[in-house]
Amino acid sequence: MTQDKRTSVLRRLIKRLEPTLWVFASLSIFVGFWEFAWWRGWANPLLLPPPHIFLANLTDQFRFFDPGGTRAGALATGGSIFSVLGVIAWSSFRVTAGLVLGFVLSLVIGIGIRYFKIFGKLVLPLVTMLAPISPVAWLPVAVFIFGIGNPPAIFLVFIAIFFIMTLATLSQIENVPVHYIQLARIMGCNKRQIYRHVILPSILPELFVTLRMNLFAAWMVVLIAEAVGVGSGLGQVTMMARNTFNASLVFFTMTLIGITGFAFDQALRYVQRKVLWWVGPSSVGGL
Amino acid sequence: MTLGLKIANVSKTWNPDGPEPVPAVRNLTLDVALGEFVVLLGPSGCGKSSLLYIVAGLEDATEGSVTFDGLEVTEPSPERSLIFQEAALYPWLTVRDNITFGLKIAGQSTKKQDEAAERLLRLVGLVGAGDKRPHELSGGMRQRAALARALAMEPKVLLMDEPFAALDIQTRARMQGHLLNIWETSKASVLLVTHSIEEALALADRVVVFTARPGQIKAEIPITAPRPRDMRSPEMIDLAIQCEALLAEEVEKSFKEQEQEIA
Ligand SMILES: Nc1ncnc2c1ncn2[C@@H]1O[C@H](COP(=O)(O)OP(=O)(O)OP(=O)(O)O)[C@@H](O)[C@H]1O
Ligand SMILES: [Mg+2]
Repeated sequence: MTQDKRTSVLRRLIKRLEPTLWVFASLSIFVGFWEFAWWRGWANPLLLPPPHIFLANLTDQFRFFDPGGTRAGALATGGSIFSVLGVIAWSSFRVTAGLVLGFVLSLVIGIGIRYFKIFGKLVLPLVTMLAPISPVAWLPVAVFIFGIGNPPAIFLVFIAIFFIMTLATLSQIENVPVHYIQLARIMGCNKRQIYRHVILPSILPELFVTLRMNLFAAWMVVLIAEAVGVGSGLGQVTMMARNTFNASLVFFTMTLIGITGFAFDQALRYVQRKVLWWVGPSSVGGL
Repeated sequence: MTLGLKIANVSKTWNPDGPEPVPAVRNLTLDVALGEFVVLLGPSGCGKSSLLYIVAGLEDATEGSVTFDGLEVTEPSPERSLIFQEAALYPWLTVRDNITFGLKIAGQSTKKQDEAAERLLRLVGLVGAGDKRPHELSGGMRQRAALARALAMEPKVLLMDEPFAALDIQTRARMQGHLLNIWETSKASVLLVTHSIEEALALADRVVVFTARPGQIKAEIPITAPRPRDMRSPEMIDLAIQCEALLAEEVEKSFKEQEQEIA
């Protein structure tokens, strides 16, 4: 009896932990190969230091992190775990600000294009033409307009998702089931009410998935912006590490970026589940 | 002025200016009296759904006119509610909010909405399911919720496009009985499309058999037997054989036509 109970508790615990265990298993394979390569002498520890080396002397790495970023490269105010968290926080803030801005504006513009016919005819060609331009090409523009600091980085993240999300909004509006709209018309909705009560809620779930898929693009862009135009953040640390041939620091920063990106995805999934409760977990996608 | 629904010389051609116009309905005239239950029976693709859309006011007739209680139908109205084969409940609303959607749009107070929801949930046998989400309901329950949503607006005409086609046979029979009860108390007219002869005979005051596309009326069969009807009675079997023969001719025709189109 108690034996049964204990095994069932154990089974439930394993079930809870299973996803996490798989994450670790997945990581272990990668790390294992790397360490093995180092052990056999295939990987030069100066160029490809394995995790046990670049994670060994953390305080040594922490020195290079300065949330202000003004004394880049120097062994400045950095040195504690807090300065590392500060740097991560700055990058995260830029990504978040860009994502929120991009999501909201693309929704507004996308709906506007369909709602106001003339506006749509004027704006849609522009959006379609600007969409394929890589955010990296916008980098100089961002610096011309906004100078140095947070705004150009946020702007680049915004650019990275805005056009794609606007086009996604349009295609989602096309895909709203006809019956939904016919029913709304029968129930007495006018055009504004149809958009507000039917089209908006039907397109949101898929748009959120699109946003999540573009999250990683946003991270890549913010790193570039930080390396070039901002002078602080994870991107700046990576760039400095590259310039000083500090391979350990490069990999340490890459690890931080990976973990933060993962956390972002999880956070977005959480928001998605809370806000868009009508979408079953099966259609959330991803890990 | 004539009360009820009058469909007068209605034709509908899809893509009239396109390279391949599709004539879906041709010169169709049909009256549905107040409180009458009319069932449309016809081969697939003969324009039954098109006709319902026109009556609902969702599509314009290419020719002819639809009037309801003497007024020309030009746009959709909750008076003429439409029920689809799939319930088409909004997945982001609870069952209760789906049912009161039209009332909310009409600006009714929340108190009135709540009262209506409880009354309707009871009427369609969904008591206790108000806080569920549509995907948690079975197909039959979803269709009942859709019915409740339509009834919330106190429609004078219920247009139903193969409402029970996606349900299993047992659920279907229950839903038919249910619909008859609701129809008898609500006094609404019903215009219902089905492919099932048995369903038509169980429900209708009058069965209207359509020709192959473009849809025209081939025959009208009044049924006076009191409900609930015994499908094994000689009278019903006679009617079923009659309907089957009429329908078989048209199905044959529409298949021939399709084959020609492909060739
Ligand atoms: N929105 C539309 N645009 C263009 N053609 C359409 C449209 N809706 C229907 N049609 C065409 O009109 C014809 C009649 O279609 P309709 O859906 O009214 O038939 P139906 O009798 O309801 O068929 P079924 O029994 O299969 O539901 C078909 O040939 C169909 O392809
Ligand atoms: Mg149809």
